[in-house]
Amino acid sequence: MNKRKIEENIFKVLMVFSTSLVVGSLIFILITIFSKGFPALNLDMITKTPKGGYYLGKEGGILNAILGSIVLGIGATILALLISLPVVFYLNLYLKKKSKFAFLVRFFLDVLWGIPSIVYGAFGFMMMLFLGLQASLLAGIITVSLLILPIMSRSMDEVLKMIPLELKEASYALGANKLETSIKVVFRQALPGILTAILIAFGRGIGDAASVLFTAGFTDYLPYSLFKPVATLPLAIFFQLGTPFPEVQERGYASALVLTVIILSISILSRFLSKRFTKHVIK
Amino acid sequence: MEFKTHISVKNLSVWYGKHQALNTISIDIPDKKITAIIGPSGCGKTTLLKSLNRLIDLQDGIKVSGQVVVDGENILDPKVEVTHLRKKMGLLSQKPQVLPMSIYENVAYGPKINGLKDKKKLDKIVEYYLKEASLWNEVKDRLNNPASRLSIGQQQRLCLARGLAVEPEVILGDEPTSALDPISAERIERRLLELKNQYTIVLVTHILRQAKHLADYVIFLYLGDLIEHGPAEEFFKNPRYAKTQAYIDGQFISEFKIDKELNLKGIVCPDNFVKVKLALEGLNAGQILKTIIDYEPAVTDVPKAMESDGHKVLEVKQLNENDWEIITQKGEINYTI
Repeated sequence: MNKRKIEENIFKVLMVFSTSLVVGSLIFILITIFSKGFPALNLDMITKTPKGGYYLGKEGGILNAILGSIVLGIGATILALLISLPVVFYLNLYLKKKSKFAFLVRFFLDVLWGIPSIVYGAFGFMMMLFLGLQASLLAGIITVSLLILPIMSRSMDEVLKMIPLELKEASYALGANKLETSIKVVFRQALPGILTAILIAFGRGIGDAASVLFTAGFTDYLPYSLFKPVATLPLAIFFQLGTPFPEVQERGYASALVLTVIILSISILSRFLSKRFTKHVIK
Repeated sequence: MEFKTHISVKNLSVWYGKHQALNTISIDIPDKKITAIIGPSGCGKTTLLKSLNRLIDLQDGIKVSGQVVVDGENILDPKVEVTHLRKKMGLLSQKPQVLPMSIYENVAYGPKINGLKDKKKLDKIVEYYLKEASLWNEVKDRLNNPASRLSIGQQQRLCLARGLAVEPEVILGDEPTSALDPISAERIERRLLELKNQYTIVLVTHILRQAKHLADYVIFLYLGDLIEHGPAEEFFKNPRYAKTQAYIDGQFISEFKIDKELNLKGIVCPDNFVKVKLALEGLNAGQILKTIIDYEPAVTDVPKAMESDGHKVLEVKQLNENDWEIITQKGEINYTI
């Protein structure tokens, strides 16, 4: 009896320790970004593009990277969504549960999930050379969408797997076909999960530096064409932290803060929206 | 009571992987009557029900053979349009499963996917069928509320309204009252009794009281075999076979201990009668004889002859498309030849 109690306590301590480690490191990261970045943050930073000597400590801002990241992130998320949705509905409603093909697709997606983003970057770069494209917003969108595709589709897949068979049966029993059942019933029921999957994928996409390094390039101009290079926040952070000037490094932290705030606000917004969309969901 | 057949099941067998869930079921389901499918859990009741609207297609590793004929068409034929078939069969599931939309949209869903767009007509349909399911008065002021906020009993009535709104010919109920409180269950039962003038109703239930109360015709399944079927009154008053009697009495259903087996495959009248007689003569009273025959006219005649000799026929069941099994217990009689 006593031994069991001791075991219980040891594991409880272990669990509390691990949990606090996770929460603690997150808080530590936020504090670092905030304390180093906030003082350097000013209106110019988020409303102006970099002027000539910005990376030497002269005036300007990172509006190019903020807008670039948002445009690229949204573009890549939409593109990935357009591909993910058919994939997951095919896997879950059209294929049998034990289908070997579905198993294979899920396996490939899991492998793709694990591939480092620099590999996607290199692959995107290769494709660009092959197609004769230069570093551009379009190339960046395509590469990032490839990067977040497995994340998005596997997250949605898990959500759709949880939809009870009885719900689909109820729809089929009324004479609905698979497409109607997918769009009108399963999609609605899965909407909160789908929104979460989109959000996770967006956060991953907007925050990735390696995949856009070769493919989207970098520019001091605001994004204005799909076929021209575009600046992104992760690269802006990378370049600024890489300079030897403390004030530029601080701006790097400020950029990191901006990126964090963007991800955070989209997260909150989507949660707020999902509440509005999900009042019909069956618990 | 004469029954007009609506759905005719012929030699239906269903396998889930290697497990056989239904074994050569042949039965006629009467038109505009309530037919109850009863039997212990796992005996294939739901499988039989879902074969009728081909919802079993959704299961993995399913294999089906035989025929189910509805309106002169074998619905197990792969060429049959399942959406059209399912529209003919309203389904009430065990746990009410409302769709993730408003009360109004739940009822309008079926008519909408079948092409009705006129808002006024939809309004009328929704009102009419909510009244048919006796739910209208409770929800008329909150038609746009999520259906999931209704109570379970209300949800089941909503499912009934939703099913009726596609104008089916048949209502399939898979233990539709098992998740409900007694009052809600009673309301559904009452509604079904009123609806049987317009619809053929097939009801899976393991509540004997419900079967007795509602059914006009009863089908008793046990471990995938069709044991007995017949008009409800007769079925409950004078069950023909031992397993049915045991089930109705709430007793444990045991397999028979066979004392002697007789294979009469390929043997026709009157040889089969003689052989059965001789075999039974060799047994003591109370011992059990299993006879296998493949001569269809004998399936009814041989048991009749056994009974008129004073033996007790415990079970007659179809083994596969050609063979039947008759299980007889020798009676307390002595022959004098």
